[in-house]
Amino acid sequence: MTTFLQILVNGLMLGGLFAIVSIGLTLIFGIVKVVNFAHGEFLMAGMFITWLITTRLGLHPYAAVIIVVPALFVMGALTQRLLIQPLMSARDDHVQIFATVGLSTALINLALLIFGADIANTPAHGLRAPISLGPVRVLTGQLYIFGAAIALVVALHLMMKHSQIGRAIRAVAQNRSAAELMGINVNRIYILSFGIGAACVGLAAVLIAPLYPTSSNIGTYFVLTAFVVVVLGGLGSIPGAFFGALLIGMLDALSGFYIGSDLREAVVFGVFLVILILKPSGLFGNRRALSHLS
Amino acid sequence: MHIRHLLLSAALGVAMAGSALADVKIGALYPFSGPLALLGDESARGLEIAVDQINASGGVHGEKVVLERGDAVDNNQAIGEARRLVSLVGVKAVFGTYSSARVIAASQVTDLAGIPYFELGAVADEVTSRNLKYLFRTNPTALHMGRAAIDMLAEKIAPGLGKDPKDLKIGIIYEDSSYGTSVAGHEAAYANERGLTIVAKSGYPANTVDMSSLVLELQDKGADVVLQTSYQNDSVLFLQQAHEAGYKPLAIIGGGGGYSMQPTADAVGKDIIDGVYDVDFTQYAVNTEATPGLAEFVAAYRAKYGAEPRSGHSLANYMGALAILQAIDAGEGFEPDQIVAAAKAIDIPDGTTATGFGVKFDETHQNERAWMMGMQWQDGKLVTVYPDKAAVAPMRFPVAN
Repeated sequence: MTTFLQILVNGLMLGGLFAIVSIGLTLIFGIVKVVNFAHGEFLMAGMFITWLITTRLGLHPYAAVIIVVPALFVMGALTQRLLIQPLMSARDDHVQIFATVGLSTALINLALLIFGADIANTPAHGLRAPISLGPVRVLTGQLYIFGAAIALVVALHLMMKHSQIGRAIRAVAQNRSAAELMGINVNRIYILSFGIGAACVGLAAVLIAPLYPTSSNIGTYFVLTAFVVVVLGGLGSIPGAFFGALLIGMLDALSGFYIGSDLREAVVFGVFLVILILKPSGLFGNRRALSHLS
Repeated sequence: MHIRHLLLSAALGVAMAGSALADVKIGALYPFSGPLALLGDESARGLEIAVDQINASGGVHGEKVVLERGDAVDNNQAIGEARRLVSLVGVKAVFGTYSSARVIAASQVTDLAGIPYFELGAVADEVTSRNLKYLFRTNPTALHMGRAAIDMLAEKIAPGLGKDPKDLKIGIIYEDSSYGTSVAGHEAAYANERGLTIVAKSGYPANTVDMSSLVLELQDKGADVVLQTSYQNDSVLFLQQAHEAGYKPLAIIGGGGGYSMQPTADAVGKDIIDGVYDVDFTQYAVNTEATPGLAEFVAAYRAKYGAEPRSGHSLANYMGALAILQAIDAGEGFEPDQIVAAAKAIDIPDGTTATGFGVKFDETHQNERAWMMGMQWQDGKLVTVYPDKAAVAPMRFPVAN
């Protein structure tokens, strides 16, 4: 029974981890309609910056949030302005996808050049300390990630619903041409949204860096799962990404123990396929959200 | 036009004849760029030192050995570079390669061209199991790694823990690419052969971000000993997550990869890594009586590169290259069949080289005298503890509580 509870808690914590990585991805997709294949490399960049700040300045890793989140916002905004925007008018949307794939490869190799192939280890400052919750153990850092994921979902939801900028973003997401006719600067909203999405993954990077060794290809470890989470939850849906992540985390933990760790990907992707067959727009997606894909 | 053509070919002929008299070209095929560059370059340094040493003592058949580098950044480029070395540069043999996938690709080219290929560092079974005519391998392989882990466990660790090896419950975990799968397969097969008990055998993808369910499985099945074959990231992840889950097996034995590297120890911390075992190529904290020539190699390395060797890869490459080049010198000449004959005639006894093992090729052209050593992390350093003749420190065991 204790083992079962521990597996559930592990799955929940893993879900929180996947959630915080995925939220920025789904945000960018939902608004800019670009599948950002460099998302994992944004995470990697944020983790390296966190590592640099923590080891060079001797600060607590969470203090790096003051620098990493704005840095990633700028990185995201520049990506949209300099890479995606010039391709927006391209006849085929796939051009943008390949541009982000290229950006991903370029960033991985840039990191290899700067930091080498070795792992960089961010000091944990007590975030790796296990604490006991009744019969189960979790790491303090994992609890913070889980809490931050919930806080991020709520904050984004409030921003989208109640702020002027949020309304403008939603207007652009719903109908680009109509928004433009209403006097919204669509390009500026895209840049802003890409920036916010990248800033979200910056927050994720700060929280993850003390728990996982950073390397140039760490982004590729997370990004496939992030795509599954985002599609499962419904492309563009922030609550969908959160609950999709929890589901994937649970499936991963349970199948890893009861079925076998080499088969857990088969289980996760199997369930993913079944859900997509039954509900092609994802758990929280509506059909309309998919209309721009065709 | 005619005259220019004639002049050009005459000049070429002179240049080629001139170089053939003075130099003999050997290919050095390693990943010099890309993600494998760090250890690829480290491996190549061993070959370079061996060549320096040979040239300082008069070369091979009186000719100076010149290395021609080929960058095997991926499998396709390994093939392209092998072609270039063989047909454009005209090397007499190719040495390499660190990565198993690269040598498997490149050696198909060289074997078709009939150029000898000497592998000094790749461990996968498939390198020599394809029975290529011109490919030889000097270094120990996945088989030796699996056997060394089980031998060390049964003969040294179990007695040290005061246990009968047959009473120990072994859990084998491995990253599920060909490296981890083949080492784990040899571990399991050899453990069965020795009558040991395996309670779990689980693969996982190397790019996993969570191993907590694997840790729970090992705990649940009561594994006393964990054998892990892994890269760096998953080594760190397992050691940390096992520690955090309060899982303390009597012994953890890593198979090379992440377990041999200082950054892994730095990442998980001294408290967690201390006591962990590792099986790998010969390392530097070793009894030099068992590895004659090692001190000279380290001195030459420091003189040439101004730093300490970064891993045991350079040593393994140095030892293999030296044995091969000396054999070619003792042979008939540089024709492929003469080189192959020279390699087949090698008979270097155990305990007489810088890596401790001898060289003699079996019918698959694998060095049958190669073996691996057992190391243990002690006070944040990796020291050789097995076998006794190579050990520099006694094995340490967890204090019973």
